[in-house]
Amino acid sequence: MSEPLGRVVATERKPNTPHEFHFWTSLDCPVGIGTIVRVDGAHPVDGRIPHIYGIVVEGFSYTDLQTPMHDVLSHDGSPSTAGFSATERSEIRLYTAAVLRQIPDEPLQPVPMGQVFLAAEEDVAVALRMDGYLKEGANTGIPIGVYRAGATDSVIYLDADFLLGPEAAHLNISGMSGLATKTSAVEWLISSVFAHFPESKGSIAAVCFNVKGPDLCYLDQPAVRLEDSDRALYEKMGVKAGPFENVTYFAPYTAKGFSLNTLRSNEALLDNVTPLTWGLREVLAYAEVLLNKDDIDAKADALIDFISERVVDRKMDREGPLSRDHTVQSFGDLEAWFRDLLQGMERANMESWRTHHVATIRKVRNRLSNISTRCAGLVTDTGDVSDLPFGSFEDRSVYVVDVASLEEDAQDLIFARIVSKLREHLERRDLGVKHLIVFVDELNKYAPGDGHDTYVRKMLLDIAERGRYLGLVLFSAQQFRSQVHRRVVGNSGTALYGRMDGDELATPGYSVLSPATRTKLATLERGQLMVRHPHFTQPIFVRFPRPAILSGREGAERYPQAAEATIETALYRSLRSLDSAISLAWVKNLTSLYDEEELLRMRNAALLQKPPNVRAFFEKRLRSIIPAEDPTTATRPVPASLRPLPIGDPYDL
Amino acid sequence: MGHRPGVSAKKQSGEDARRWPGSAHEARRFILDELPGGSPVEGLAIDGERFGAGEAPPELVVPELIEPKPFRAIRVAEPKSVRGQSGFAGFLDGTQKLELVNHEDGISIVWATVSAAIRARVGRRMVAWGGRPPTVIGSFYFPFRYVSGLRGEFRNHPRVVDTAAANEDGKFPSRHPAALIEAAVKRVQQDREKIERELAEAWCASEKSALYVDGSITSSRIASSSAIAVGVIKSHRRLYGEGDAFQVLVTLKAGERTSIFRVAPERRNPVASWYLRLRSGAGHDALFGLVRVEASLSDDISSRADEISRWILAEGSPLALPDGRWDKMAYGIRDTEEFLRAIS
Repeated sequence: MSEPLGRVVATERKPNTPHEFHFWTSLDCPVGIGTIVRVDGAHPVDGRIPHIYGIVVEGFSYTDLQTPMHDVLSHDGSPSTAGFSATERSEIRLYTAAVLRQIPDEPLQPVPMGQVFLAAEEDVAVALRMDGYLKEGANTGIPIGVYRAGATDSVIYLDADFLLGPEAAHLNISGMSGLATKTSAVEWLISSVFAHFPESKGSIAAVCFNVKGPDLCYLDQPAVRLEDSDRALYEKMGVKAGPFENVTYFAPYTAKGFSLNTLRSNEALLDNVTPLTWGLREVLAYAEVLLNKDDIDAKADALIDFISERVVDRKMDREGPLSRDHTVQSFGDLEAWFRDLLQGMERANMESWRTHHVATIRKVRNRLSNISTRCAGLVTDTGDVSDLPFGSFEDRSVYVVDVASLEEDAQDLIFARIVSKLREHLERRDLGVKHLIVFVDELNKYAPGDGHDTYVRKMLLDIAERGRYLGLVLFSAQQFRSQVHRRVVGNSGTALYGRMDGDELATPGYSVLSPATRTKLATLERGQLMVRHPHFTQPIFVRFPRPAILSGREGAERYPQAAEATIETALYRSLRSLDSAISLAWVKNLTSLYDEEELLRMRNAALLQKPPNVRAFFEKRLRSIIPAEDPTTATRPVPASLRPLPIGDPYDL
Repeated sequence: MGHRPGVSAKKQSGEDARRWPGSAHEARRFILDELPGGSPVEGLAIDGERFGAGEAPPELVVPELIEPKPFRAIRVAEPKSVRGQSGFAGFLDGTQKLELVNHEDGISIVWATVSAAIRARVGRRMVAWGGRPPTVIGSFYFPFRYVSGLRGEFRNHPRVVDTAAANEDGKFPSRHPAALIEAAVKRVQQDREKIERELAEAWCASEKSALYVDGSITSSRIASSSAIAVGVIKSHRRLYGEGDAFQVLVTLKAGERTSIFRVAPERRNPVASWYLRLRSGAGHDALFGLVRVEASLSDDISSRADEISRWILAEGSPLALPDGRWDKMAYGIRDTEEFLRAIS
């Protein structure tokens, strides 16, 4: 049995309660804020010696001085003579601990006097009620980090049932920006989930929205360096210290449509980057995301519904103001339909068509046509669709949607549609995986506590409140938790906190924490987190390892973003990834014969269908003006040999 | 006995099956069983100083000089200099706490706790001396002859003290309540002195470093003859400053001691003694910061007195505040008093 490190004390002024107690220790005791301790009661209750587990939430130190003036007098007003005092004043280290658990649970009594011990590993498991889900048969522990105090080095586990559903779900992480906490913690936690999520609970995957910088752009690349201490943490927690093995990136094209609009555009990394493009059908259902309340009044809403139901993907015969038949499958087709309809109405001097007033039609045309401009690169006029593999998600895979470089409208559209689709598929149980983690950073922006209600916020609220029943779990992050919608953070069963800003800690949401705990939060080192979890009655401080993944900053240095490509280079790069026989000369021939729009459409089709012979794929579909490749152009012409330099004077040519 | 772990309890033969009181509250209940006819008294503490030796009239005594005449002031340390090192490794003090817990036909039943401890200094911090644990003893004090119906077992209990035993002249104390309380206080003081003496002798037998004793060391033959026991007396009912010595005494400056004189109280052991001014008396009464030091008689007593004086001066920091006797008290003694307050 270990040596006691303290003794419980209680006075009339400072009594112990069932949820809080006080103890003192020696001056050199390894106890600090966040240390977990065990109290062994002195007298049995109902025949059992009570054991109380607590976490230190406040600390006090004082001497027998009544006023500071006495110390001044003691040293004749000279601080330098203080060291010459024969005796040091009696000093106390007095700590307040919040009760984590009492055993036996009943009767719940004030903490008795007794000796205080540093909690050993098995004590930590009991104190945090981890014994319930780490036991044989349950085994739903997901390591979140390591709790350290004195000689204790204990893995802290979250309960998968309360992190990923169905009992509770969702995780929210707060912390100051730039301290490698939020993204690192989420990367580490997803690794841990993939390593420890019980197979009996089914498959799991993650969709991460990269909303800023290159943070999530290198999840499949190993870290430049990993300290031995980090490797030890990985080993202790049973997680492989390596990057994610199955990662797919999705990014829309740039407005020009030549190359993908992502920081992961370096040619060396393009093999698992997939275009994200949607056509009219995909976008129209989410028009509400892009159109504000002024845009969509009841009349406009009715017309949009009409277009969705009766126009898109349906053959519209020439009748009334329409001068020809229409089959609307893309924004281009829709624009042609609008143009024909409005011209016909003008010609016929019609004020309305099928109960829709001409002004409403003009307004909706204006707003819808504008979408492909506002979301250029994502929304195609041609209707080409390249999407996430809904229905064939793979177990332990990560799907990163890079929206960092996009306009806000496009970000909102992507977020709303992908989450909706994920939800639909999970409801139908045909996503491909049973559980899905959705990671969204910058929740301050997407689900703010104030401001008008947005489609994205409604979606996030919906996930937070109902997602766990579907297996849709939200991992969210932000700098200021206090500024996020209360229902989003409130529904997060698990909350992580990195180093926090003092102003943020002064908000009412943190008033439940002791001043010492708040101070510790404001000074947390990198790699440290405060964890709140349904099983833990008090927040716990843990250390987690640096992600074994190339960081965004290092990745951006090692794999610089490719410059905006020409049409030739863009086609060559993307087609070469499908078929290594493709040459630049062949691509140049194509660009000299066909217009950009046609070629980009062909490229997109090829990327979707992934034909084994890209050249044959193009030749079959393009108009037959493509010439056979001249073998001489396929190889670099041999330059004429240079005249040898005259010996002596290099300028005498 | 109400002893804390590590605190020695004097083992009592024939101890009652009932638990001996550990506090005045328990003593009040305990004595009610023994003296059912008594009337309990609630929370009436007795000020020992009022009835003990402290009440002896102030007197001036001519010092019997050991050092050459005249009685003079000798500087042992510069008052403005940084305080020097101290050679004291232990601090001995004792306390007593008396409470009136019961009345039996007007006769006071007193419960008193005497305690003593040595606190050792290790690395500038005070800890309980490991050589002998602190002693805490709780006892009843009352005049047997004036209380009827005492059970034999209780009367013979080693922690039940008769305060009405006949004196050397065969006279019994008066029934006067104040006289009885004074007799009880004196017995308590004797008991306290006894446990202090035992601790001091234990120190002298086992340690090599100096012991700072709060009070006189003349009651112990061993301590008074030991080179490592130093008594420091803060109260001056008896002032060795009759005649010319008085002027020297009251004008003594901080960092000065007086000439050494011999002190040999009746039925006690002789020691060398001198006065030492710890703090400047300017703006205070004549005895401010003045202590009398006792050490064993020896040939080199002059140089020892200088050294011991410097040690005592060094003990002046940190201040013993908030104790009201801070001008004369060493911090180590205050720490010992606080320690005893905590365990008794």
